[in-house]
Amino acid sequence: MSKQSIRVDNLVKRFTKGEEVVSIVENASFKIDKGELVALIAPSGAGKTTLLMMIGCVEKPTSGVIYLGDEKVYDDKWLTKQTRKIRREKIGFIFQAHYLIPFLTVLENIILVPQTNGVSPEESERFAMELLEYFDIADKAHSMPSELSGGQNQRVAIARALANRPQIILADEPTAALDSQRSVSVVQMLKKIALEQDVAIVMVTHDEAMLPLCDRILKIEDKKIISSKIEGNTQETLV
Amino acid sequence: MINLAQKDISHSLGKFLVTAMGVGLLLGIVIVMIGIYRGMIVESEILINDINADLWIVQESTLGPFAEASRIHEDLKDSVRVIDGIKNAEALTFQNIQLPSPLKPTRVVAVGFDPHGTFNPINPERIVEGRDLQRSHYEIVISDNVGFSLGDSILLGRDNYRVVGITHGSVSSGGDPLVYISLKDAQELQFLYTNNRIRNDRDRGIKNNDAHMVNAIVARIHEGYSVDNIAKELRRFKHKSVFTQAQQHDILSKNLIEKSSKQIGMFAVILIIVSTIIISLIIYTMTLEKMKEIAIMKLIGIPNSMIIKMVVQETLLLGLLAFSFGAIFANLSYDKFPKKVVLEIPDSIALFVVILIASVLASFIGVKKVVSADPTTAIGG
Repeated sequence: MSKQSIRVDNLVKRFTKGEEVVSIVENASFKIDKGELVALIAPSGAGKTTLLMMIGCVEKPTSGVIYLGDEKVYDDKWLTKQTRKIRREKIGFIFQAHYLIPFLTVLENIILVPQTNGVSPEESERFAMELLEYFDIADKAHSMPSELSGGQNQRVAIARALANRPQIILADEPTAALDSQRSVSVVQMLKKIALEQDVAIVMVTHDEAMLPLCDRILKIEDKKIISSKIEGNTQETLV
Repeated sequence: MINLAQKDISHSLGKFLVTAMGVGLLLGIVIVMIGIYRGMIVESEILINDINADLWIVQESTLGPFAEASRIHEDLKDSVRVIDGIKNAEALTFQNIQLPSPLKPTRVVAVGFDPHGTFNPINPERIVEGRDLQRSHYEIVISDNVGFSLGDSILLGRDNYRVVGITHGSVSSGGDPLVYISLKDAQELQFLYTNNRIRNDRDRGIKNNDAHMVNAIVARIHEGYSVDNIAKELRRFKHKSVFTQAQQHDILSKNLIEKSSKQIGMFAVILIIVSTIIISLIIYTMTLEKMKEIAIMKLIGIPNSMIIKMVVQETLLLGLLAFSFGAIFANLSYDKFPKKVVLEIPDSIALFVVILIASVLASFIGVKKVVSADPTTAIGG
């Protein structure tokens, strides 16, 4: 079985602003393996979130190829109409803020996606409780998000991202709203999840203190992707 | 599977219920207005149903005695009685009078009839106290909502009348309470002038003060005779307008209450449209308030169908609850309206269906918003 979790070949994203064509990403190519925690860094407005959303089948690239696992999902066009199904089944999302559904309890927030995928209520609830115990918030299962602290809500959001047993987790600045101590704790948790669940995690971050905790850094520079390994300090420009 | 609508409503139950109550009051008014319309139809028919005549003979070229003024001679009844096929005929008067009621001066319609004749416009089932008229003078049978009791004395014109009977539910086509007096008394009240007026008229050379006038002659026919043929004959030889019971019903419904009922119908339609717009706006606002959550749900892969189901279910429930509140409001308050309100189950069912359809239409605006929601708006960057 291939270790490849994400593969991007010659990905281009341009959009028009009035009559001007603005280029965000030009011919980006990279590969992320299962179990890897990769930091995606770039100056503000350089297209980190756009890249993340293209990998997450939310934003349509202009051209290029995207593989999720061994399945080619984009080749100058979406190869399936059901991009939302791909997101639901293969990808977990974590955001800057927790973005939990406020009218659902903690447990319901976590089981929403698995149950939509057809997992039985018993199985989805059992796994959700396991996740909540893992994150040490099982006692909050029936609380509303408004009754939890920011840190607890962020842990629920991570549990939600894991609830559909995804192949990939896309985290958009998950530590932005947290203090440094809690940020380290969250990233360490993500690293552990990547290893234990064999999940590829792409994490957009501005916080350089988090970089040593990652396996690799993808940096968007002049619309190109530069990959840096943390150990050995080797730097290679993929394209 | 989690029911998103149920969860969302439970989360803001108070707000949802108060909103439904607000719309419900509006729908309650619609139900009452339909009830007023029904009440008008029922009231318009009470008197002619109680009189139950086959023919109404009135002044030529008029739609009397309810839609237009009609004055004919009382003795016409005698010449009508001898026409082949006529079973019986009597003279009736109808006039508006203001009663010095103990509650407040009340406008009533006085029906004058011969207590010893063959037509009695007082439906015995409506008498709740006392008795029918038995004498030719100074007795009155009165509706219970006017405020008089049995034995009370009422001054009408020059004379005092004693209340001998109380009726319930007797109203004229215009909704005014009915009182019943003898034909002779009614003629004096309506056609006999005061002594001063008579003297004045004599000085002017006017001598024709005929009090033996009535407003209509009513007749029943023998079995086997055609009402239409006899009506045609009467029109031809007596030079009078003649209406059958069905035609009199038509005159009442088309001439007297048609405009009022159309007006009420228009108000009801406008209120239904307003209710639909309000439900649409509420659903639109409720959807707008949830746009962030909808974008997140779309981003994490929740299908549109599930989110649309939430919006549609919430709209339908809002419509259902609003209708229920409206029906409760209408049923608790209908007897407190001054006009008769008749609530009929088929009308409520029809309104319920209309509200369901309106709710579905109203949900489209929310559904459109859901479909157009961009999942990327859930995140920054």
